[in-house]
Amino acid sequence: MTSSELLALAAVALPALAAVGSAAAPRRAVGALATGGATLSAVAAGALAVATVGRPGTTAESAWLVVDPAAGILVAVIGAVGLASVVVSPSYLSTVTGGLVRASRIPRLYYGLLFAFWAILTAVPVIGNLGGAWLLVEATTAASALLVGFSGTPRALEAGWKYLILTSLGLGVALLGVVLLAATAGGGLDALSWQALARVPAGGQTVLIAYVLLLAGLAAKIGWAPVHNWLPDAHSEAPAPVSALLSAALLPTVLLVAWRSSRALSPAVGTATAHSVLIGFGLLSLAVAVPFLWRPLPWKRLLAYSSLEHMGVIALGLGFGGPVALAGVVVHIVGHAAAKALGFYAAVPLLSHEPRAGGHAVGGVARSEPALAATMGISLGALAGLPPSPLFLSEVLIVAGGFAAGRPWTAGASALLLSLGFLGMAHALLDTLAGRARHRSQRGRSVGLRTVTILTTVTVLGLLALTAVAFWLPGSDLAHNLAAELP
Amino acid sequence: MSGALAWFLVALGLGVVVVRRRSLAVALVTGQALVLAVSAHGEPGAAAALAVRALVLGLLLLLVVSRTREPRPVRSGVAPLMRGGFAVILALALTWLVPTMGLASRNAERGVLALIAFGLVAVATRTATLFQVLGIVLVENGLALAALQLHNGSSAAIELGVAFDLTLIATVAVVFHERIFAEFGTGDAGALRSLRD
Repeated sequence: MTSSELLALAAVALPALAAVGSAAAPRRAVGALATGGATLSAVAAGALAVATVGRPGTTAESAWLVVDPAAGILVAVIGAVGLASVVVSPSYLSTVTGGLVRASRIPRLYYGLLFAFWAILTAVPVIGNLGGAWLLVEATTAASALLVGFSGTPRALEAGWKYLILTSLGLGVALLGVVLLAATAGGGLDALSWQALARVPAGGQTVLIAYVLLLAGLAAKIGWAPVHNWLPDAHSEAPAPVSALLSAALLPTVLLVAWRSSRALSPAVGTATAHSVLIGFGLLSLAVAVPFLWRPLPWKRLLAYSSLEHMGVIALGLGFGGPVALAGVVVHIVGHAAAKALGFYAAVPLLSHEPRAGGHAVGGVARSEPALAATMGISLGALAGLPPSPLFLSEVLIVAGGFAAGRPWTAGASALLLSLGFLGMAHALLDTLAGRARHRSQRGRSVGLRTVTILTTVTVLGLLALTAVAFWLPGSDLAHNLAAELP
Repeated sequence: MSGALAWFLVALGLGVVVVRRRSLAVALVTGQALVLAVSAHGEPGAAAALAVRALVLGLLLLLVVSRTREPRPVRSGVAPLMRGGFAVILALALTWLVPTMGLASRNAERGVLALIAFGLVAVATRTATLFQVLGIVLVENGLALAALQLHNGSSAAIELGVAFDLTLIATVAVVFHERIFAEFGTGDAGALRSLRD
């Protein structure tokens, strides 16, 4: 077993151990154990990213494990967001008085579920098999649904229920695609490894149907339109640190499964067809998201619709293919994760400072809480693609990749929708920070603001570094390696 | 797979779409999964996974039914005959749209598509939370049938994994059902309407 494979196993095992430890530890030790477990897990994830991205041409792949740069990047994103979520969690938990279990059990259940979700999520990018990936994605639903409904409020229960039913049903449809592929490829788990799928004979109508069913089912979990209905509810009602994990880590991780499937099955269904399905979901998601970005929405709901937009952008990049667009996708996934997670973390002090923000759009935060406004502004500005946000460059790269791929109309339509989305987000940015307060409500102390301010500093530095990387990435070995077909 | 067995499985599935009593619907999906397990006798691993899953889920769901007695039946917005009609139409449409899937028999393929259609219709037209869970189980039963009818046999590892995942999902759904019942006094998903844009 290579060092990269060992790191991949460690990146999965450490949060799994932390889950067991958190659930079983004495109440007073839970916080320290969670912080220690999260730090070790994030270090292992970061080391895997360094090991894989530093050597983009080397891929360790078997029927069960794939350790490549794409896996390294996603595992690092999960690790970084997971660590930050654990750091913010004490502030969130200090505001919780009740939930699915009685108060004394809340921290243990919360951290146990959070780490279980983290561990399962980390296993998805490194699993070398479509069947295994499906099982893991389904398992993320179980852990994260309980987290979505964690507060136990009627709205959280509604959001958790919708999430559970809709994504399970979607994954049922995806499983039909997996079964059809197994029938075509020869049955058994080995036939469903990414490498084996690339050898599925071309031209069969069954493979095409299986591919469409698979992607349509995964779309329900990724939150692509038109099967995105659970997404705004779950993101807005989950605890803020969990919303960050859902949006910044879960959605792109399942997207990776869609990309691996598309890449492996391209020879069988035709590259143009495989890419067109991704582009279709991408354009539709953008078109559905943009009108909502123009409406005054509660903070977390606005971020949720922004997730729909950004998953659409990433789908477009994957559909365009080629080194330029895929370099854009890499930058977009990392930049979106950093900016979106920060936005959700800002919800912890925001909801204690202005409790009505849970159900209403907020305005004029810069006047009442300047430090919080700075965090919200940085998050929203970066997500809008306001230069020097790396998301501006990534969107330019993705649209340029569309033109390079010979899809000028699609690239043009994407650019138009992205411009409209930018204007909507810019409007929301101004309104949230400098606009008129929509409701005069009693304002309270901003719980966790100090932690969030520190995270803001780290995020700003990271985003600026990513902007620099975005200039170099399109011509790099990494981008060309991602664009290469499977052997 | 014989035509009679496939039709029997389909009939059990249609029952879940139209019956009113939750306990009867639980019995129907449990019976369906047990029939599937028996029909998989050539693959002991898959058969055992299916049988254990069927019994665990059946007992869990019956326990929940007894713990959450509805003060009055949860009425779906769609009448039973209409639900059945929708389910049959969707099943026929799927059978017409989806070409040969490469399973061992065409009867099995039709059965798989019918069960998936019935599950989708159950989730879409029933507002009782427990019936929505049963809709998902129905879809999974259809997929288990497909896996068992692969030419080169089902993978016991996949069957086991799917059975474990489904049990996990159903357990989480039961937690939600009980909380929803405690919060709203009914297991009616129609009460969950506060989140709208």
